Amino acid sequence: MKLVVCVKRVPLTGGKMVLTADQRAIETRHLGFTVSPHEECGVEEAVRIVEAQGGEVVVVTLGPPEAEEQLREMLALGADRAILLETDGSEWDPEATAAALTEVIEGEAPDLVIFGNESADSGGYQVGIRVAHALGRPVVTGLKALALEDGVLRGQQETGDVYRVPLPAVVSVKEGINLPRYPSVPAKLRARKKPVERRTPTAGPPRLEMVRLVVPEGRGKQAEVLGEGPAAAPAVVELLQRLGVA
Amino acid sequence: MIVSALALAVALAVAGTLFARRALLLTRLVRMGHQPGIDRTGDVGRRLEQEAVVVLGQRKLLQRLVPGLMHAFIFWAFIVLFPAIPIAMIAIVDADAAPHWAWYETLANVFCVLALVGVATAFFIRKVLRPRRFEGSHLGEADLILAWIAAIVTTLLLYHGTDAQAWAWAHVLLILGFLVYLPHSKHLHIATAAINVYFGRTRSRGRLEPLDFDEEQAEEDMRFGIGTVEDLTWKQMMDAFSCTECGRCQDACPAFATGKVLSPKLVIMGVRDHLFAEGPKALAGDHDGAPVASRDSLEEMAWDCVTCGACVQACPVNIEHIDHIVDLRRHLVMVESRFPSEAEPMLRDVERQGNPWGRPQAERSAWAEGLDVRVLEPGDPVPEYLYWVGCAASYDDRARESARSTAKLLAKAGVDFAILGPAESCTGDPARRMGNEFLFQSYAEQNVATLDEAGVRKIVASCPHCFNTLANEYPDFGGRYEVVHHTELLAELVREGRLAPTAGDEEITYHDSCYLARHNDVRAQPRELAAAVGRPVEMERREERTFCCGAGGAHMWMEERGGAINEERVREAAETGAGTLAVACPFCTVMLDDGVKSSGRELRVADVATLLAERLED
Amino acid sequence: MSTLVLLEGADDLSLQALTFARRLDTAVDAIAFGEPPPAPGVRTLHVAEVDGYAPQAWARAIAQLRATTIVAPGSDRGNEVLAHAAVMLDGVLAANVIEANGDEVTRQRWGGSLLEQARLHGDVRLMTVAPHAVAVEPAEGEPAVERFTPQLHDADLVVRAGERVDTSTGGLSLAEAPVVVSGGRGVGSAEGFGALEELAGLLGGVVGCSRAVTSAGWRPHTDQVGQTGTKISPDLYIPCGISGATQHMAGCKGAKKLLAINSDPEAPIMASADYAVIGDVGEIVPAITAELRRVRA
Repeated sequence: MKLVVCVKRVPLTGGKMVLTADQRAIETRHLGFTVSPHEECGVEEAVRIVEAQGGEVVVVTLGPPEAEEQLREMLALGADRAILLETDGSEWDPEATAAALTEVIEGEAPDLVIFGNESADSGGYQVGIRVAHALGRPVVTGLKALALEDGVLRGQQETGDVYRVPLPAVVSVKEGINLPRYPSVPAKLRARKKPVERRTPTAGPPRLEMVRLVVPEGRGKQAEVLGEGPAAAPAVVELLQRLGVA
Repeated sequence: MIVSALALAVALAVAGTLFARRALLLTRLVRMGHQPGIDRTGDVGRRLEQEAVVVLGQRKLLQRLVPGLMHAFIFWAFIVLFPAIPIAMIAIVDADAAPHWAWYETLANVFCVLALVGVATAFFIRKVLRPRRFEGSHLGEADLILAWIAAIVTTLLLYHGTDAQAWAWAHVLLILGFLVYLPHSKHLHIATAAINVYFGRTRSRGRLEPLDFDEEQAEEDMRFGIGTVEDLTWKQMMDAFSCTECGRCQDACPAFATGKVLSPKLVIMGVRDHLFAEGPKALAGDHDGAPVASRDSLEEMAWDCVTCGACVQACPVNIEHIDHIVDLRRHLVMVESRFPSEAEPMLRDVERQGNPWGRPQAERSAWAEGLDVRVLEPGDPVPEYLYWVGCAASYDDRARESARSTAKLLAKAGVDFAILGPAESCTGDPARRMGNEFLFQSYAEQNVATLDEAGVRKIVASCPHCFNTLANEYPDFGGRYEVVHHTELLAELVREGRLAPTAGDEEITYHDSCYLARHNDVRAQPRELAAAVGRPVEMERREERTFCCGAGGAHMWMEERGGAINEERVREAAETGAGTLAVACPFCTVMLDDGVKSSGRELRVADVATLLAERLED
Repeated sequence: MSTLVLLEGADDLSLQALTFARRLDTAVDAIAFGEPPPAPGVRTLHVAEVDGYAPQAWARAIAQLRATTIVAPGSDRGNEVLAHAAVMLDGVLAANVIEANGDEVTRQRWGGSLLEQARLHGDVRLMTVAPHAVAVEPAEGEPAVERFTPQLHDADLVVRAGERVDTSTGGLSLAEAPVVVSGGRGVGSAEGFGALEELAGLLGGVVGCSRAVTSAGWRPHTDQVGQTGTKISPDLYIPCGISGATQHMAGCKGAKKLLAINSDPEAPIMASADYAVIGDVGEIVPAITAELRRVRA
């Protein structure tokens, strides 16, 4: 069983969005990074499948050189090897991303390709589907449960809808499909030695072209403080009655 | 005479052989042990000092006067009566050849009586008073030993009184029997305690032993804490051999006091039992890898610990319980990934965001808004003091106040200081205490690089955990700085008159932080500050006997089973009648304030820096 | 040049998408599958005969209508179907759009905590409309209804929703509840959620939680409110002990009113709150419950 999981390096923003001076990126100085949540669950799912049925998990990302950090984290989770499609850190639109990933995935010829339903940052909702079409494979999205049996994939969505699809296939999963393990230190040390292959893809001009980023205005009002501590309870109940929920 | 000599020789040979076999096993076990992560042989002067004070002087035992004297009598008797053994042996072989020094016999008789007084006192304590600290201890074994000691000294008294060879024989046989029994019982401590005391920490008690993650090592050779018996260090084995099951540590433990499973005594006994059960198998090469943590309730007990060190402080033979507990945690966290799930977000946040609260580093100096605080940028001139704020004061709404007060006070006193702002990340203390040594070391290395690049020489920290780690633990990673706690610096400024608070008459009770008062001996300076701003009134459990607030050992992020440690401490504070509970630690601030609220009391919890700042308001 | 909007049904998101589409083009057509939904202001409502939900088949039907601008609700299905359609039509797809002007759109990133102004290049443009970013506007006029059976490729029906498993735990779902009381780290423990459950029960609502709580193992992921959890739009949202990280706020943007209960007056969530109570969650929530009971008695 060979599984390919596609992941993306995203910053861990806090309570506020701060942009760079040119307003074309988030200011990431002093921000930590992680793999986008849906995708981390995708890697965990792939590792569990391989632990049960044997096989190999390959993690792929399109990103800057620093994205190796996220690949190593996924290798510590249990992936076997990783491929970094190195960019200069600039944005690639969904179509270009899909094309670059397709080229790598075709070379790997996996039984199953796993994507996150959408990336935490750009949230384009389309890379997985574009790759599936390019590969000529069926794609099921938004899975919260996944099982493989005799070459058939059974996928269940949040709504309870169940899909049965023959392998090879493409899926996208949502956080909550599993709780990713906390990697052991021996796994982290081994991850440092697992292979990370680097390639440098090229892209044409974007068709979904990001012009600038804008931090949305706040609600424009100050929170009305109803009180402090338990003494505020009567004021709260009065509000609840006014709002018609009490 | 010949017959007696032969009989004695046989007795000696038998006893000697039995003793030697057992001693050989113990020696082989200890030699199987790993090297501890800190140097245990340097600083000879202080080691000898510990021998004199703790062993000869019985000082830790005398922390409790009556039991202490009880043991001291017996211990000193053993020393004084030692020459009586060869004398008795000579007497057995040739009664005339035995020396009879009246002064010695008188001295010996006095100590025999003292020993009997000791034994009687011990029986009184154990059979009549029956303190809780013996819960879980093997009382039968203790009774046997006490009776045996009584018999030994009685036979000596009788020999001195009657001069009958039979009593000499009885004395020698009892002693030889004792010698054989000794290494099979907790009385092994007679041989090992002095050694254990010698190899204990001489300084930096708050410093944990680092592990070596050098990548050149093969994974099988790496030590990740205590998994199986083969992971124990020789010092941990010596600790286990030296335990007398006295239970003083259990009495001092705040977790035990609030109904949790943890008893530091049972941890050491559990390690000891595991060592004797599995150690010989490991020596023979047919050890099946039984985990130490699954013996008795060691795994559960390991998570209850708040690393306050009250156990280490109480132990008469200087056992270092925290090393065992943290090493058990290390294996559980780093190898098995099995630990209380509520701590997982904290570990992930430390790893990915640089602080245990998961708040962005970019907002780290938000607390300083409106204050004139210099944030050190790369290339800036290095200040006299780098003020290490810590994650709690940076992000927690209650702890923030102490940072603001400290900054205002330092500015007012004209101290040249700056903060690192977003470049300051967690010292790694919560990760280290949790057992994730790997994560801790990555932060230690990163912070040392940051500090060294900025040219920092002196650091003032307002959190005792940061203070402890920066002062005692970072040197293991190349970071050597002069580190003071903010109470030390503020007290100095008050003494020098650079800060002149107006005296107040409010009653203040000061709560000693474990990481200040016990692990680092900072006890006087916060009291100076409390006295400068109010009328201090002391709690019973203070200074090196302080009672934890409950946040240590990463418990700030873990759920507490059983009763609440913080409420117990708040109860004690409230009983002093003071209206203000002064602290010097952001964790204590939050925990004790929570404790005040949950127990519905009226008590103001505030950092001494805040109290000081209030008395300086112009 | 024509504009086509996908209507999933009579739900809010479809009506919002319709309002959005009508702003782009007064002569807007619509496509639906199964029962024809309300489509005020639509010129022609095309009803495609497809057996059940098969995203690729639905996309094929849309593609057959040869529109140059295609709009859909930003629901799971809307996003999925339009992605397939984008491939089939070699179009450019922008998801979660809140505004469009010619070939420029404003769309959501980070679940709405950040906006992107983007330019669409291509002859065929597809957009899904961010949920609750557009207020529904009523319109006059009933559409002409045209039924058709789309010409599907074999592969179009491989992925099709089969049976539906009952995932409800009884009671209201997080996404539908009119009131949601959420807890974060500030609740302190799994047991602490009992107080929130009590309050939620009295208000006819349900309990949610932040991601830290799910990671800590206190509540299941199905309770998680946030960008990667459930996105909610209750009449009243009461986050307790939640600091307000953007990924959480992305999940509750749809809330009509927000009452924050937190010990930290400077927590990020305060910037998004209509009302606040400052203090210990463990004390305040039971006090509110007690007061509620008192006034109802």
